[in-house]
Amino acid sequence: MPHMLTRRAALAAGAAALSLPAALRAQPAEVKIGMIHPVTGPLAFGGSQCRLGGMTAIEDINAAGGLRSLGGARLLAVPGDAQGKAEIAASLVDQMAEQKVAGITGCYASNLALAATQTAAKYNIPFSIDSGIADSITARGLANVFRFFPNNTTMTNQAIACLDALNKAAGGPAKTAVIVHENSEFGTSTAKLLGERLGTIGIAVKETIGHATPTRDFTNVVLRIKSAAPDLLLITNYPNEYQLLLRTVYQQKVNLVAAYSVSGGGFSLPFAKDQPQVSQFMIDYNHWHNPHDPRAIAFRKRIEDAGHVFGWEVLFGYFAVRVLADAIDRAGSIDPARVNPAFAASTFSDDWLPYGPTRFVQGQNQGARGLGLQIQDADIKAIWPAEFADAKPVFPRPRAS
Amino acid sequence: MTGAAARTRALALALAVLTLLPFASHSQFFVNLAMLTAISAALGQAWNIAGGFGGLTSFGHAAFFGLGAYADAILQTRYGLNPWLGLPAAAAFGGGAGWLIGTATFRAGLRGSYFALVTLAFAQAFGVLANSLDITGGGSGILVALHPGAGRFQFTDRRAGYALAVALLALATLAAWRLSVGRFGAHLLAVRENEDAARALGVPAVRVKSAALALSGALTALGGVLYVQSYLYIDPGIAFSAERSVEMLLVAMIGGAGTVLGPLLGALVVHAIADTTRSLITTPGVAPMLYGVVLLLIIGLLPGGVVRIAAVRGDG
Repeated sequence: MPHMLTRRAALAAGAAALSLPAALRAQPAEVKIGMIHPVTGPLAFGGSQCRLGGMTAIEDINAAGGLRSLGGARLLAVPGDAQGKAEIAASLVDQMAEQKVAGITGCYASNLALAATQTAAKYNIPFSIDSGIADSITARGLANVFRFFPNNTTMTNQAIACLDALNKAAGGPAKTAVIVHENSEFGTSTAKLLGERLGTIGIAVKETIGHATPTRDFTNVVLRIKSAAPDLLLITNYPNEYQLLLRTVYQQKVNLVAAYSVSGGGFSLPFAKDQPQVSQFMIDYNHWHNPHDPRAIAFRKRIEDAGHVFGWEVLFGYFAVRVLADAIDRAGSIDPARVNPAFAASTFSDDWLPYGPTRFVQGQNQGARGLGLQIQDADIKAIWPAEFADAKPVFPRPRAS
Repeated sequence: MTGAAARTRALALALAVLTLLPFASHSQFFVNLAMLTAISAALGQAWNIAGGFGGLTSFGHAAFFGLGAYADAILQTRYGLNPWLGLPAAAAFGGGAGWLIGTATFRAGLRGSYFALVTLAFAQAFGVLANSLDITGGGSGILVALHPGAGRFQFTDRRAGYALAVALLALATLAAWRLSVGRFGAHLLAVRENEDAARALGVPAVRVKSAALALSGALTALGGVLYVQSYLYIDPGIAFSAERSVEMLLVAMIGGAGTVLGPLLGALVVHAIADTTRSLITTPGVAPMLYGVVLLLIIGLLPGGVVRIAAVRGDG
């Protein structure tokens, strides 16, 4: 009986099989990561950028061998288009829960994140926020919601400190300001915080002007700014309105000590390159990489070489996935009951952001921070604080001519 | 029984079966889509009462939706009232606003496109107010705390929310049906077809139109409450956007304005197209584009609405 398996041969085969590495014995399962962003509609650019970052992170994690504690399980992206609507963002969470995602990242805009995280809380799915900045996203006591990046209060406080430092270093030429903001959650809450804090650094707010998203004609807004004649123009809104407003300010030759934004949606490399005169010397307090870290330089080059626009949204999408994957890997499970505590205990440090040590308190990373940035000669430069700066600030800006 | 009547009954039966289907589903995603469709149908039906039966083409029904949503959210978050009380409060706010807007505009003799613009202006004005006032949370909106439980009007199982949406849809459809057979409905239709002739026959046109707008506003406001209790968040963009107003009239017009079954069919068609394309196509932009093309085809080929296929217009 030449084809019959002897007991000795069977035992030998079994022993050989047991000695194989785990990865060869069984194909590792895929771990699904949901990504909810507005990739159509008025917020499509930022949402697509976040998605690009998330996809890049998944590519990197898989290329590095996947999730080691899960036998090298590969990550699989489950993208969803929220179309800028809160109810669709919530609906996508239901859909992703049924697809058994291990975690979700998103949602670029705060109002989408607020609705989506409430729904995710019902399933206890770990939710890694990328660019939703509203404090309330993590301040509601939801145990499944985490933000690696700074919240609105942090950004606004630091933006005020940056503005104060720049103003004092120049001898205090800025004494008055007009605030222009978009009138949804993001712009309104930032404008409110700014209005409260500017007085503490000796700058009086002459006027606060809200506008809808979308708005396409800023003539009247700029005429109001011109008649108020402030030293500073403070802006907080989304990309199109940001750039249209600044273009109108340039066209109307409004004289300012500085135009300054906090988390300026339109403060981007395409803006700097496409409209060099309009964008020149614009200052923004925003999210950015550490310009002295070679990994950051290489990452930017990689994104740009692939034909994409590099911006902070890409970094957000990227690290929102990285920090979530790290939590799943450390939990050694996709069970939310294990991933959420692992996320809360994260000390993730494999990043090239200008952050301090990672420490989550009520879902918010305490080490997160932004940088003072300025567009100089069609490029974005870090100007504050000095330890991360790669250029000197131009403050006050030259008079409009 | 005429052929048209038989087809109407068959269609009504099919819709009833479709309505019951989600209760048998364990997919929260599917039930959520069904709930959004039912809310959309209810809002379309509410618009239909004024816009379809009364010919009061409103471009600003989001005003009523937003009033209801904010009434519910404010009463529970600011004053600690049980959210179930949001339902009668919202109906009162929506109905009251409908009556006031109606009385003011109809007494001023505004009709047709002028009335449409006035309603649009009201929705915009409410949006500006919601953006500016502290009580509405300004642009930040209002976040309702997560406290799952029937007593707090929050349901972990979306089938409960769906049941409420179906109840609202049934209420709105009952109201529309009453209009199609009752005396008040006859007055409203008479005013729609020829207001001067109706007045000459003794129909109190201003009161009839205002009452229709009040009824429509109250039902629309109830839809706002269901939205808030489902998603626990409201902001001015969600509440008062022109897009929300357009969806209500789109649902009624795609289905067949001025018919009882039209908004139900319209919501089914609009959501089936939107949700199916969104689920199946992940390439950005393709799904909304396809949605637009299909809507254009329906509008172009069926100007009287989908309900025309069953030839049930008028008595549908």
